Amino acid sequence: MRWLSWAVIALVVLWAAVPSLFTGYDPLDGVPAEKLQGPSAAHLFGTDAVGRDLFARVVHGSVHSLSGALAAVGVGLVLGTLLGLIAGSVRGVVDEIVMRVMDVLLSVPGLLLALTVIILLGPGTVNVAIAVGVGSVASFARLARAEVVRVRRTDYVEAAFGSGGTFAGVLRRHVLPNSLGPVVALAALQFGVAILAISTLGFLGYGAEPPTPEWGLLIAEGRNYLATSWWLTTLPGAVVVAVVLAAGRISKEIR
Amino acid sequence: MSSFRPAVVTVAMLAAVGLLTSCGGSGAGAQAASDGEPVYGGTLTYLEHQPPTCLYLPAAGFYPNGGVLNQLTDKLTWQNPETLKIEPWIATKWEINEDATEYTFHLRDGVTFSDGTPLDAEAVAANFDVYGRGDDKLKLPPAEFVNNYERSEVVDARTVRFHFSKPSPGFLQGTSVIGAGLVSKKTIGLPYEEQCQLKNVVGSGPFTVAKQVVDKEIDLQARKDYNWAPPSSTHQGRAYLDLIKIIVTPEDNVRVGALTSGQADYVRYVQAYDEATVKNAGFVVKGEPTRGVNNGLYLRPANSILKDIRVRKALQAGTDAKEVVDTLFTDNYPVATSVLSHLAAGYVDLSDKLVHDPDTANKLLDEAGWTRGADGIREKDGVKLRLGVFVAGPQPLSKQTLELVAQQWTKIGVKLEIRPADSGTQAVDIKDAEKTAVNHSMVGRADQDVIKSQFHTENRDVILSDDKKLDQLLEEESALADETKRNEKVAEIQRYVIDQGYVIPLFEEPQVYGIAPYVHGAAFEAVGRPSFYSVWLSK
Amino acid sequence: MTKYLVKRAGQALLVLWAAFTAAYILLQAMPGDSILIKFQNPELGLSPEQIAKIREYYDAGGYLHTVLGFLHGDFGYSIDTGTPVVERLAEGLPETARLAACAFVLAVLLAVLIAFGSAYSGRLRGLLLAVPSLFVSVPVFWLGILLIQIFSFRLRLVPVIGGTELQQLVLPVLTLAVPISAPIAQVLARGIDQVLTQPFVPVVAAKGASRSWILWRHVARNALPPTLTVAGLVFGELIAGSVVTETVFGRNGIGRLTEQAVNAQDTPVLLAVVVVAATVFVLVNLLVDVLFPVLDPRLAT
Repeated sequence: MRWLSWAVIALVVLWAAVPSLFTGYDPLDGVPAEKLQGPSAAHLFGTDAVGRDLFARVVHGSVHSLSGALAAVGVGLVLGTLLGLIAGSVRGVVDEIVMRVMDVLLSVPGLLLALTVIILLGPGTVNVAIAVGVGSVASFARLARAEVVRVRRTDYVEAAFGSGGTFAGVLRRHVLPNSLGPVVALAALQFGVAILAISTLGFLGYGAEPPTPEWGLLIAEGRNYLATSWWLTTLPGAVVVAVVLAAGRISKEIR
Repeated sequence: MSSFRPAVVTVAMLAAVGLLTSCGGSGAGAQAASDGEPVYGGTLTYLEHQPPTCLYLPAAGFYPNGGVLNQLTDKLTWQNPETLKIEPWIATKWEINEDATEYTFHLRDGVTFSDGTPLDAEAVAANFDVYGRGDDKLKLPPAEFVNNYERSEVVDARTVRFHFSKPSPGFLQGTSVIGAGLVSKKTIGLPYEEQCQLKNVVGSGPFTVAKQVVDKEIDLQARKDYNWAPPSSTHQGRAYLDLIKIIVTPEDNVRVGALTSGQADYVRYVQAYDEATVKNAGFVVKGEPTRGVNNGLYLRPANSILKDIRVRKALQAGTDAKEVVDTLFTDNYPVATSVLSHLAAGYVDLSDKLVHDPDTANKLLDEAGWTRGADGIREKDGVKLRLGVFVAGPQPLSKQTLELVAQQWTKIGVKLEIRPADSGTQAVDIKDAEKTAVNHSMVGRADQDVIKSQFHTENRDVILSDDKKLDQLLEEESALADETKRNEKVAEIQRYVIDQGYVIPLFEEPQVYGIAPYVHGAAFEAVGRPSFYSVWLSK
Repeated sequence: MTKYLVKRAGQALLVLWAAFTAAYILLQAMPGDSILIKFQNPELGLSPEQIAKIREYYDAGGYLHTVLGFLHGDFGYSIDTGTPVVERLAEGLPETARLAACAFVLAVLLAVLIAFGSAYSGRLRGLLLAVPSLFVSVPVFWLGILLIQIFSFRLRLVPVIGGTELQQLVLPVLTLAVPISAPIAQVLARGIDQVLTQPFVPVVAAKGASRSWILWRHVARNALPPTLTVAGLVFGELIAGSVVTETVFGRNGIGRLTEQAVNAQDTPVLLAVVVVAATVFVLVNLLVDVLFPVLDPRLAT
């Protein structure tokens, strides 16, 4: 089972890197006469309303979805971990202020926060990623701070301080590496969460710009055809579920 | 001059022919107008696609608004949707002077608003003073279906006269549209934001509001003492139904699924791809024509790329409307043959000007100095040939339509940038020809003036026109008293906007409804808004 | 203890104020505005001057004015619908509260089922333990639409339009409960594992106690505190989930109100929603913090 998660992730990463290896169809240019065809040997995932090959759209869409989710996690990871590190290391008033700000962030539902950020920044893949990422800053900050506080109490860090290490030096050499494990696990988990969040935003009408074949948008738009062309929402949906499941599994392993 | 005019008959015949051709695919045979004796009572569950916005009557053009207001209000005159003839309703008869600058209406006796006040000459005058001139103090804009209005004159309690500064031949038809629904004097005296709210709308129609859950549900109950249906209606007296539950259901698949599984009786906005599902389940699909300016792409000459007519003409030639219809739509959506629907007053067939011809398109773009870049997209002086458009929420399958057009334009080296319909930026950018070079829209109304509504700088102005000649043509049209001359002018305008490349007409947009087989007497006004007055249930 | 409580309450108030202020600033910075969105519609035919006048009518009058209004329970008018925001909240809150409460109860039931089921199921254990991961991997809107198609339209078991209050709750509650049950199930399952590996278990079992008795008695005590913590966190997800669920099912709650308000950039409504959501969040977490020492004697000391 373990290899399966990694295989799924490896496959979609390959899709993103060399899509032409997996499909010969153009994701944006369809043959209108071949619209809404069910899955077949010629079209693995069938075709959509304007005759585009759905599998090609899923494969070419992986780069948008993966990079979107990665960017979202990146925003949360970098900003959150940084804030958490600072709060946990400096303590005192700074800690108090940073963590209260994080409380505020946590108190506003993530989806609402993301929607607000998108309206502020305007639609588009990058902006959606930032919007989703902002929602996870608080979780990363809390976790990073807790880890730092834990690591700081350990003997060897105390010793490092005692033997005259500078604050930044100790932070970089001892605190950071030792508190990284759980943070990376959270990042893997958030990766799956981000893919879901991006697709939810697509459903609410704040997705990537058409005709970008972003996964969330594919599921969201295919839903209207559920009664007539089940594959349009089900197959991209299955891909997303598989990737999110795999990310969750991997997160557990790291932890 | 009476209400019988030869041109009206011509239009009516034209319309009848059109109806015959357009109803071919709408399963017209399945819907019997009345199976047996009508039954009183029952509740109709009607699913609406979007919540109503503002219920100030001139804003009733928006279909969700119109669907409610059509049941709550009556109009001075009734436009027979089959013949398009204007027939008596609240006005029993009328006189129009020779140059159409004076209209006198004689009102029916005994009509009351649902608050008990009489629907008399004073009330009618108060309504049209607002619809004709607007009211700055109350922030009420004038209605687009009234042109050249000067003043009203209450001759006696049941006679009202309207004076116009210039001929206003469209006014008679204007009194029959949904936006001209009559409301009580109290309602019409309220400021804009209050008239917007359903609870303040007091009309004389066959239904009144029983309950409202904002943005979710509106319950309408029959008015027991209603007794003033249009004389030509076979059904008189109160409505057959007791109650109508209008439920806002934005999800397309939920509306259709609810209908076919028996949870709803009547739904608006059945998407083209769901028509077969509805029909196969034994339900009726009704595609009602909107007889106005066609669904199409409107090109803005104020845009720095589109100011060159060659580019506009190239886009026209590079668009294959037939492919759009064949791929995404059904027989209920006829391919456009002019900027107007073939059922519209004054329509001319311009299909020879609208031929899909990528070679001409490429040639025109070459001539205009746009050369292909490495990515296949044309450029000139370092500027890419990129044009922005917003997905139009109210238009059916707008996004898919635009995606398909974008696919067609790629072949002539033009990039259409489709922006999701996000209302925030949209509200700002849609008025900016640089950011929104192309507008996807339509407007329905069964009168020649509809073309003015779409293009005039004082009306919708979809192309953000800087063309004085176009405005002048439209003004001339709206002030021509003679029907034939008016139609000629409308024909001239159609040719003009197509020759100028202001529009790429795509298809004639219908309103498509799904109706359960036990629902009888489904009727629509001239541009496809439902009337529930004569609906009855046999379940 | 009192000092702790006062401090926590003070912090809660501070968080509320900050959430309100941040939302206020963010909403002011939005491009376009609700007045334009609503009234620039070409169907309405309003001139820019008329729009400006309407804007004056709706002008809320600055930050201080708004704060004072909120303190008095006056949340202003919704620009989108023209009704007082308080009215809309009063309509939506009970609906959402009912949905969320039912969903939470169902989620806990599901979680208990999964967690205890896995403790008994032997060979199926792995499969059951994978269920929570699957539950959180499915987009909520997708699940909702799927459930409607299957249970309402195909099998015709419950209507989504019309029907009784209870019938209308079934599918939305299920949709909302599924993703929320996952983290609770995971925590519970971990709690069970811990109990079963503790040295006292074989001893008690040897005395004749049944496995279920041990599980019920000890897991309840050991797994409850972490479950409670998760429950506090899950509450935010309940609110976010209700946005999607209510949109899919067309329910008239706070979630749908939020979605519509975002769409229309209806600032007064959004501000009110943020304050309500933050209040609920703060209250729930305050409650969890207060209950924690009561439930877990180890922490009280």
